[in-house]
Amino acid sequence: MIQDEKPPLVKAPDAIWRSIEAALDATPERRPTNLCAAWQWAAASLVVVGAISWFAFKPAAPAWQVSRLEGSAAVDKIKVGEWLQTDSNSRARITVGDIGVVDVEPNTRIRLVAASPTEHRLTLARGEISATVSAPPRLFLVDTPASTAVDLGCAYKIKTDESGDGVLRVTSGWVSLEWKGRESLVPAGANCRTRPGTGPGTPYFEDASEALQQALAAFDFAKGGDESLRILLSQARVRDTLSLWHVLSRVEPRDRVRVVDRMVELVPLPAGVSREKALQLDPATLKSWREELAWKW
Amino acid sequence: MEMVKTTLFVLALTASSAWGKDFSLTIGNPVAVALPDGVVKKKDAGMAVRVENCADVANAQVTATAEGIVNGARRSVAVRLVAATTPGAFAVSHDWPLEGAWVVHLTGHCGASTASAVVPFGPNGFIRESSKFFPRAATAAEVEAVLKTLSGGAQ
Repeated sequence: MIQDEKPPLVKAPDAIWRSIEAALDATPERRPTNLCAAWQWAAASLVVVGAISWFAFKPAAPAWQVSRLEGSAAVDKIKVGEWLQTDSNSRARITVGDIGVVDVEPNTRIRLVAASPTEHRLTLARGEISATVSAPPRLFLVDTPASTAVDLGCAYKIKTDESGDGVLRVTSGWVSLEWKGRESLVPAGANCRTRPGTGPGTPYFEDASEALQQALAAFDFAKGGDESLRILLSQARVRDTLSLWHVLSRVEPRDRVRVVDRMVELVPLPAGVSREKALQLDPATLKSWREELAWKW
Repeated sequence: MEMVKTTLFVLALTASSAWGKDFSLTIGNPVAVALPDGVVKKKDAGMAVRVENCADVANAQVTATAEGIVNGARRSVAVRLVAATTPGAFAVSHDWPLEGAWVVHLTGHCGASTASAVVPFGPNGFIRESSKFFPRAATAAEVEAVLKTLSGGAQ
């Protein structure tokens, strides 16, 4: 049987109240220590969770899509640092981000070097590629053993053989071929050879005479000397001022007068272009002259 | 007063000299023009054109159409011109198909003056040597004649 009987009230000893008060007084001093430890644990946990998440979900290295044009395709994408190689029966197409495409011809070895918003860069070790790019100038670059092709808004083919010798052919827009401070500007319809150790040669239009093309090859890469310059000057047409404009900066100072005289003979010196400053290779003068000559190319 | 008269005389002489030459069109490689947003659009440009001997070059106007023959059928396509950073110069957009034979008919206006050009295109771009220039608007017959020559008389 359960009884509802209250126990008698008894007064607590004073010692108990003292011990409780002492405990209450001591508690606030220990709280910060516990809170700090909790925060430390939370922060450490966050770091661990963050690190695990980063490793689990880290962004993949930039990669470009690869599609087969002919033959067999072993890969469907190429990442930064990776090589792509075609055999004698294969052709592939690389989609260059969202700015264009690069068609890789047979027996070609190519590497993706950079795929960032400010630089799209390939290395062509050997073989041939065709690039069609629509992007701001100097965003898309192709390194070869003898030069770097810098896109200035264009479509072009570039090939290089086992020895590193190469040739660039521009089909629209223009390309700058650069190597150790030497630069050749190649517009649509023009070609430019490259050689290791020398860099880009002098650009020439495809319809230039065979004699002019051979003289340029001798001038650029075989120390053709005075004879090659003589042929160059005699063979040049109005349109070949493209080649002569480049040659002007590459001949011996004593030969500059001959080159300028022939250029002026073909196309009168435009207003605002000083003959004296051109002979001194003044950069602003040469740029103005080139821009005016381009109307004849 | 004498100085003002002299200045006015020199200005008049200069102006008459400019007007003394005929208003005309010059064509060139697309690399000849710099476009406002850089050279990125040059890939799509077939050539460049600029007005010559125009006193009011900022208000000079140029229009273009592509006239072609594709599979025996006569076609006409409007062509866009992109104004270059230099007044009076334009990039001519390659808006016509790759197949067939095509010429670009350009017409320029400078005040009351008119000039024109008919420029044939081959596989490697415009053909300067076969282009025709007129100090007036080209007639339809003149455009057809250049196109006929380009297409080998197949029209």
